Amino acid sequence: MTEMTSLTYKQVNEDVAAIGHRVGKAWWVAFLASVAVIITGGLCLAYQVHVGLGVTGYTRPAMWAVYITNFVFWVGIAHSGTLISAVLFLFRAAWRQSIYRISEAMTVFAVMTAGLFPLIHLGRVWFFYWLLPYPNQRELWVNFRSPLIWDVFAVSTYFTVSTVFFITGMIPDVAALRDRATGVRRKLYTLLSLGWRGSTRNWKHYAQAYLYFAAFATPLVVSVHSVVSWDFAMGLNPGWHSTIFAPYFVAGAIFSGMALVITLVIPLRRAFGLEKYITEWHFDSMSKLVLFTGCVVTYSYLVEFFIAWYSGNPFERTAFWDRAFGPMAWGFWIMAVFNCMVPQMLWWKRNRTHLPTLFLITIGINIGMWFERFVIIVQSLNINFDPWVWRGGYHPTLIEFGITAGSFAWFFMYFLLFLRFLPVLSIAELKEVLPAPLRRQGRAS
Amino acid sequence: MSQTKSGALGVFQYLDDAIAAARQLKSAGYTVHAMTPTLYPELQATVDPGPSGVRWVTLTGALLGIAGGATLAIWTSLDWPLITGGKEIVSLAPYLVITFESMVLVGSIFNLLAMLVFGGLPGWMRAEGYDQRFSEDRIGLWVPADAATAEKAAAVMQAEGAEEARVATG
Repeated sequence: MTEMTSLTYKQVNEDVAAIGHRVGKAWWVAFLASVAVIITGGLCLAYQVHVGLGVTGYTRPAMWAVYITNFVFWVGIAHSGTLISAVLFLFRAAWRQSIYRISEAMTVFAVMTAGLFPLIHLGRVWFFYWLLPYPNQRELWVNFRSPLIWDVFAVSTYFTVSTVFFITGMIPDVAALRDRATGVRRKLYTLLSLGWRGSTRNWKHYAQAYLYFAAFATPLVVSVHSVVSWDFAMGLNPGWHSTIFAPYFVAGAIFSGMALVITLVIPLRRAFGLEKYITEWHFDSMSKLVLFTGCVVTYSYLVEFFIAWYSGNPFERTAFWDRAFGPMAWGFWIMAVFNCMVPQMLWWKRNRTHLPTLFLITIGINIGMWFERFVIIVQSLNINFDPWVWRGGYHPTLIEFGITAGSFAWFFMYFLLFLRFLPVLSIAELKEVLPAPLRRQGRAS
Repeated sequence: MSQTKSGALGVFQYLDDAIAAARQLKSAGYTVHAMTPTLYPELQATVDPGPSGVRWVTLTGALLGIAGGATLAIWTSLDWPLITGGKEIVSLAPYLVITFESMVLVGSIFNLLAMLVFGGLPGWMRAEGYDQRFSEDRIGLWVPADAATAEKAAAVMQAEGAEEARVATG
């Protein structure tokens, strides 16, 4: 925080404007690599569309697997952005200012990635519009009692609201970039800033609307991952049919999302020289949130096992025994180590502020959280009510790996474009943290 | 950006000077617009103290979203009355999810539209008094007026500590 108070308004404008021009060979290498992996993933998808879902490893009873794992993973990643931008805004947490734009961008790109997977999982992607409520010749309507339709509404609302929130929040900052830019960039920023002048009229209604966006987005965050959790909890399948799923999933989403924010911010801070803006204090605060949500997630895992035992239900007991000691137990133990044990290192401040250590911890958490979704989906489906279907035969194929890798590249490609062309830090909000320019201290009002 | 109307423009380095000048000008009966690099609630309260109308539009949108979401779920269920999962044809508990999401979606869209309409955005053609320094570290006060009145307004701003005060004509 002390580094930030020594900044001037002008320096903030100069530093943020310089980020987009500071990209070098590393940016191009990362961008072209992302495009190459997207093309590979796209070819895998084209092959799947041509041949059918038989090219995946789907085997009864595991007919939901990596694609739905990816969907839940990316929706979870999306949650930290709205948490930081909306929830922490309402709570007036000052540490959000330096990182909220990055995490908001992450949210929008993560939802764009998540939204692909239900369509990919459909197999016949061209029929996706059947999920939408529209009048058709058979007078059929979608089933609003189904969590899958709730998902359509929740995810599309989340994408719309988080994108609008992201773009609206950028208007004053894009205007600041516009005033320093030349050529095509100036034209682009003029268009995107909507003629913003920073007038009292602009600010008055902007501030009010921003508050309401935050007020809408806060319960929306909770609702979206609750709805995603109900995709499972509304089913009777052992390992899924649980009332704790909604808070458990929301905590897990914040846990993984914050971890990915830290993973992305550490190299960005170094590459673009943002040490003055993103300080040890920010990492310390983010890490505490990761530690807290990690403890909630660990508690949820323990409650699941306890309730499976305490219920006396043989199907639940069998499912959870299989989860920890069955043929795919490796997934469970990866999850347990990375999500429960590794985050405990964050009790020590040294680990919360030692960036190489923190970087490794957060990468571990993201691996662990991907496996959490894999375990919940695949392992629960593998052990169903009927022992004769307990084949445990699902194994991901190269096509699924290719599409999964493509989704990560899809996310990173947009993120790289964001770094290059849009304000990575919120210029206007950083100035709010700095002391107001006063001739006579304490005389502003 | 071109200046399209005449008036007095004051450029201030300090917030307290700008607030003092705005108060003087308002009490003298001038219309004052401020342009700032970030939100200054104190200056906002001096120049344009009333509440924003955004809240009413947003509330209207949210209520329409509630009505629309609930109507869509209930009406379509009655239109094709098929019992699924042993639930009621009109199952209010699951429809709350649709209703809630519709409230957030429509409320947010109305919120955005209200911000644009009340805030005068897009405002590519409105550039009166704008200076690029106002997105950086300076505060601008713009007083729309004819040349003679603008001279007086500029003098007030100069007296209150403006580092630059002049008559600007379009």
